Amino acid sequence: MDIDILKSYIPLYKDALFLTMKIGWQGILLSLVLGLAGAAILHFRIPVLKAITGIYIEIFRNTPLLVQLFFIYFALPKVGIRITAETCGVLGLGLLGGAYMIETIRSGLESIPVIQTESALSLGMTKEQTFIHVILPQAISMSVPGLLANVIFLLKETSVFSTISLMDLMFTAKDLIGMYAKTIECLFLLVVFYLIMLLPVSILGSIVERRMRYGQFGD
Amino acid sequence: MRNKLLRRLSSGLLITAVVAASFTACGSKEDAGATTETASAESNEDSTSDASSSAGFRTLDEIKESGTINIGVFSDKSPFGYVDENGEYAGYDVYFAERIGKDLGVEINYVSTEAANRIEYLQTGKVDIILANFTVTEERAEEVDFALPYMNVALGVVSPSDAVIESLDDIGADDQVIVISGTTAETYLTKNYPDIKLQKYDAYAEAKTAFENGNGVAWANDNTEVIAFSLENEGYTVGIPSLGDNDTIAPAVTKGNETLLTWLNDEITSLGDEQFFHADYEATLLDTYGADYEDTLVVEGGKVQ
Repeated sequence: MDIDILKSYIPLYKDALFLTMKIGWQGILLSLVLGLAGAAILHFRIPVLKAITGIYIEIFRNTPLLVQLFFIYFALPKVGIRITAETCGVLGLGLLGGAYMIETIRSGLESIPVIQTESALSLGMTKEQTFIHVILPQAISMSVPGLLANVIFLLKETSVFSTISLMDLMFTAKDLIGMYAKTIECLFLLVVFYLIMLLPVSILGSIVERRMRYGQFGD
Repeated sequence: MRNKLLRRLSSGLLITAVVAASFTACGSKEDAGATTETASAESNEDSTSDASSSAGFRTLDEIKESGTINIGVFSDKSPFGYVDENGEYAGYDVYFAERIGKDLGVEINYVSTEAANRIEYLQTGKVDIILANFTVTEERAEEVDFALPYMNVALGVVSPSDAVIESLDDIGADDQVIVISGTTAETYLTKNYPDIKLQKYDAYAEAKTAFENGNGVAWANDNTEVIAFSLENEGYTVGIPSLGDNDTIAPAVTKGNETLLTWLNDEITSLGDEQFFHADYEATLLDTYGADYEDTLVVEGGKVQ
């Protein structure tokens, strides 16, 4: 491996890392919002919205991100809806992640014994109060491992962004290989930069997981 | 808790170290192979007949023996290498590939390539020959061996007719130019016009769709390709028909595969006697370009006029 080549490529990889993280975090934030909203809809069994949420989950969980991005980026402009590649990336990631987040949070909600809802209601709390102050905090703490797995999954999914011309880590590597054919150096940096991005998330995750355990009640 | 964290951290570091070590090992092995031929000859004593396969390519004899040749072509670059309505490979490059198969007396296994992985496919031995509109450049010649050329090419820039780009200076600071990753257009613009913002795509099909959708002010590529695009799609004009140096397109083989390279050079030279590439042009490119471009594009017998 040639150290000088590695050094000259690092700034490009750094830009790609920032872009990947920028899109990644915005997408993850969107997916968490969608996840919470969707899980609440399913929890309260709101008539029409419940059906829509169900369809949304099935569509986005059962199609690859690549197909979703293709659709948003290449098909929507044909009918006059124009969005930038970055927005498209955030939207694609957020919508895909949302479907997964809903299911993860829902499993957390369902793991809370019904007796807690009944107790809260019998104490005079409203349905909404019960959900926000009693059920949701516990459900979130139960679903933290699943949510973290989703976050890492979504950050890795950014590697398909190359099809919509976003210079993410994967595309930067492929592009440099195509231009200068320094395969080993490029792939080495690719692995290193993915680890730089994901290891802290994984470590931070285990800390958060520990902390959140205190949120549980009754064990 | 701290123990668990420490364990997690150290395992992470370990992974990084292992990955780094394995890459370094790969790298040094390749260097050694390239610089010290004598050493590799010695280590090959046990497997004398296997010398070529360890170098990552198949010699002419091995290809003939196996009965099939792997040729890397484009599947989405009409009219040079594409899949036609019957699902068969067709185009200027493929016409030549068919002849290679016939003269070698072997079956052809077409491998679809993208611009950016053509060198990789040769270096890893996934294909024996690349016939995918591969422009000869100095950088590439360090990685693969080019045979004699069979086509001329320069770069060109196409843009919508209502906002034609006739000079690269017309491109504004916020405008984006579409290129395909791994092409000579990308390298040329990166090197000579670092301020122009490039919007890069993996494949021809995606770049075309993006350009049609208006994602960039212009599309820079081989001039053959952009001329074909403007002829096939209304409302587009090639504002810059020739950019940079005039280059040639040639078949490429894995570096060091001399038997196959020699055979290809002899083949191209002898095909010149029967004006093979003019016939190729008339069979595959005439519909797109008309007769005007025949003499500028075709290189016969490996000799550039």
